[in-house]
Amino acid sequence: MVVGDPKIARLLEHPAIWRGRSAAQRSGLPTGFATLDEYLPDSGWPRTGLIEILVSRFGSGELTLLVPALAALTRAAAARWCVWVAPPLVPFAPALVSCGVVLDRVAVVGGALSDRQDARVGDRGLWALEQALGSGACDAVLGWVRQVKPRDIRRLQLAAERGRSLGVLFRPRRVSREASAAVLRLSVEPLTAGVRLTILKGRSARRDALNLSWRGS
Amino acid sequence: MRRLRSHWIGAAASAADLPAIGTAEAPLRSVRRMAPPVARTHELWAGVHLSEFDPVQGLQALAVRAQRFTPRVSLAPPDGLLLEVAGSLHLFAGVAGLRRELAEECLRLRVRPLLAFAPTPLAALTAARAGEPLVITELAQLVGQLAPLPLSALRWPEETCVRLARVGVRTIGAALRLPRAGFARRFGVAQLAMLDALTGRSRDLRATFHVPVRFRRRRELDCELSDQGQLLAELASLITALGAFLTARQCGVAELECRLVHRHVPATRCVLTLAAPCADEQQLTALFRERLNALQLPAPVRACELRADQLLPQRPPGRCLWQPGEHGGEAGEEGGGLIDRLRARLGPEAVHGLSLRQEHRPEGAWTTTPPPPLPARRGAQGHTADAPSEAAAPRRPLWLLPVPQRLAVRNGLPRRRGLLRLMSDPERIETGWWDGGEVSRDYYIAIDPHGVRLWVFRERAAPHGWFLHGVFG
Repeated sequence: MVVGDPKIARLLEHPAIWRGRSAAQRSGLPTGFATLDEYLPDSGWPRTGLIEILVSRFGSGELTLLVPALAALTRAAAARWCVWVAPPLVPFAPALVSCGVVLDRVAVVGGALSDRQDARVGDRGLWALEQALGSGACDAVLGWVRQVKPRDIRRLQLAAERGRSLGVLFRPRRVSREASAAVLRLSVEPLTAGVRLTILKGRSARRDALNLSWRGS
Repeated sequence: MRRLRSHWIGAAASAADLPAIGTAEAPLRSVRRMAPPVARTHELWAGVHLSEFDPVQGLQALAVRAQRFTPRVSLAPPDGLLLEVAGSLHLFAGVAGLRRELAEECLRLRVRPLLAFAPTPLAALTAARAGEPLVITELAQLVGQLAPLPLSALRWPEETCVRLARVGVRTIGAALRLPRAGFARRFGVAQLAMLDALTGRSRDLRATFHVPVRFRRRRELDCELSDQGQLLAELASLITALGAFLTARQCGVAELECRLVHRHVPATRCVLTLAAPCADEQQLTALFRERLNALQLPAPVRACELRADQLLPQRPPGRCLWQPGEHGGEAGEEGGGLIDRLRARLGPEAVHGLSLRQEHRPEGAWTTTPPPPLPARRGAQGHTADAPSEAAAPRRPLWLLPVPQRLAVRNGLPRRRGLLRLMSDPERIETGWWDGGEVSRDYYIAIDPHGVRLWVFRERAAPHGWFLHGVFG
């Protein structure tokens, strides 16, 4: 289609004309960091689909990166659940509240409450993730699951599309070479007061890293 | 004289002919003209008083058993039961037979009853409470028979009884002889109304006890099964029956028990606890599939039984035009279904919510809760009103260690994968002597060599150990 043609452009202004492309151009979920919004493909986190966040060490700032978006999701008018599957430590409720997360919308599956529970949930974490993603009852599902195969990621991605939810998988950096069906793969490294982000896979061609400072939000 | 008499409470009787009122024709006739008793339809109430008997649950159990005598059973908590038995007397060969059977029924529940029969419920109950095994079948005899009973059987407030005793009124008969207006003024209208209900002058309406509905169905298997899949197929017919049962009553179950009966071993119980009342067969079947798969059967199953003891009213859910997740789409029952599925496979305590506690020590500042149900519809604004106040609250890590982890120390500084750099001024959190969990700590934000920000503390008491308590994440 010749976009530059003024006749066609005028024709397209007619309100009765609906263009598939404009509907397909979805806006992402605001991250809460202006520079990150610009950096990410959909100008925000994708609303549907699976994200992988790869870190070399647990606690490199990956959750701080995500919490503003989670807060916005839980505060929405028709908020669904935000499910944490097998978190390695206890999500500290006062910190979540001070970041604006509504605890009514948060559910934790398994978790580090006791070793017995952890061992049992570890095996079935993937199953729980898929259930939560595909149920349609969750806005976001965060998973800390070990031993994820590329095939599992494909399943999770399909479940996320089915349930229209955002899945976030936290994985170690060493798997960055593996194939993945996730819509977005990020690598996160800690800085003194922020993180350094690299898009490993996404719908934009950007390969440069972004230094994100917590105070610059 | 007649006009005066009508102002008395128990106007059926004058002082002289109280003991034998049934034969005193003249006063009765005068009463009928002035204020006829309302309870004229022929009723006979059996009052059961259960002494040395506390729980309300037992009272309900007895009320359920009493259904074999009459459908009109009323509870008089905490320790009384009323049965309207006029219609069923002939089935038990009169009052004596009924009294014997009723007493046996109570003894089966290991309670010793005191029984009395009277035309008004309150009179029957009062006589039973007074320990008098009266049988009053005629309304006309009522006042005369009740007269010698002590006032305490009416269970009036202590203070009222003391004041009545001070003017020499200790029996029901004496109270009935008092003038109405004066009695109401001095001892209360409620007490007067009770006396009227006692003598049948006013109608005493009692709520009828309804037996709670429950579902129990058992299925004997054609052959003994030990395969979960086949068992589920056999259970399917029971679940279908349950679904029809629940739909017909517009009810749902929140707890469902399945008993798998073996030949020699005690039955295996498999209890399904649901997040929200459910009447959907397919959902229940799916949950049972998860539960059965996780179950270790000790022996082959020869029969299965489905039990739902508590039915909860359930409205058919409203459907939204939008899919959940679309603009305007909300998740309603999907939420409950998800929690149920997770629980069925991972165990009932595997899913929980979080909530805050008013507590200054970090380990006590949060608690787990049952996952809250998704609200069906919320206000358009949601939670936008209460904005977070980040400035006021001190910085807290997003992750907390369930138990503080002791850190290695070199030269008085903590180490974890290398030397930690302390990035903040200390924040002191201390005391807790009131519950024995006394702490005295200085918290710091620290960064380890890999750049991970940690929340560490140093104990103020000797030996001044360093501990890791949180990760900022």
